[in-house]
Amino acid sequence: MEQLILASGACDPANDIICKPENVIELFQFEDNLFAIGPWGITRTVFLILLAMVIVVALLYFGLRKRSLNPSKFGVTIESLMGFVRDDIATGIIGPEGVKYYPWLLSLFLFVLVGNLFEVTPLINFPITSRMAIAGGLSLLTWVIFVFVGLKKNGFRYVGALVWPTTVPIALRPLVGLIEFVSTFFLRPLTLAVRLFANMVAGHLMLTLLLVSGWVFMSSVGEIGIRALIGIPWFVFGLGIYVFEIIVAVLQAYIITLLSAVYVESSIHIEH
Amino acid sequence: MEELKGAIAVMGYGLAAIGPGIGIGLVVASAISAMARQPEAAGMVRTTMFLGIAFTEALALIGFVLFFIA
Repeated sequence: MEQLILASGACDPANDIICKPENVIELFQFEDNLFAIGPWGITRTVFLILLAMVIVVALLYFGLRKRSLNPSKFGVTIESLMGFVRDDIATGIIGPEGVKYYPWLLSLFLFVLVGNLFEVTPLINFPITSRMAIAGGLSLLTWVIFVFVGLKKNGFRYVGALVWPTTVPIALRPLVGLIEFVSTFFLRPLTLAVRLFANMVAGHLMLTLLLVSGWVFMSSVGEIGIRALIGIPWFVFGLGIYVFEIIVAVLQAYIITLLSAVYVESSIHIEH
Repeated sequence: MEELKGAIAVMGYGLAAIGPGIGIGLVVASAISAMARQPEAAGMVRTTMFLGIAFTEALALIGFVLFFIA
């Protein structure tokens, strides 16, 4: 709601074409504390992170509480989600030893999925993954895991095979090695974080600006008369984007999990 | 210069989107023809297609972020 007021306050429907705050970064910042626990102030973003955590734990707890031969519809849904992550992502990409990484992949997938779906949840309407701290933190965790796994499974050969690839001609090895080194240790975590972050930022911006513009124009019909019709295409466009964003939210959760699994796989099997 | 700043950032993002646009088109086109030729391999092809899209898309997204930073 804060965002709606922010975006609509900076808007003059008699002259503007679209409602846009002075600085769009304001749409992603919540400075005021909702409440405080001792010295820790809980802003809206932090509260949503905790909420996402509680939702993930509750989904798994209530989905798997009764292990019976004919589970409820809810239980089947949770189990098929888990089966998808285990069979298609963990063991499908990493191989039989991927079961070891399945708990991490499942919690990553569910947390990002819930965080992304906050974007299209009424009354929340803020994807927590559109804050770089969260996307960056998750991809930093992936980075730590795949570097650790590579060093543990292959020892120093993990870095050696990257910077001195024996499958390319000897004259090209320093160049290819340098590119591989930079892309593995710097670009991988960066792009993993930026991919999730940028998709969610773009989605949140489009949804907020379009729907708020539509609402502001249509609700001020008494003052601006026929100009209120501008609001209708904005609103229709916004609703179309809304459906599209649901797909994007699920797809980005899938892609970040898939890429994490691929990175771990490439640390385990270094020969390709 | 302050007046020009936003316009240049928009143009930069437009340029950054050309390559990934073509790339994603190629990836998806190949995936579709692969799925049409061998429908039984569709699951594997789809996973690989998403991977390819994710890697190709990264450049456009970096351009998008720079557009906001500029």
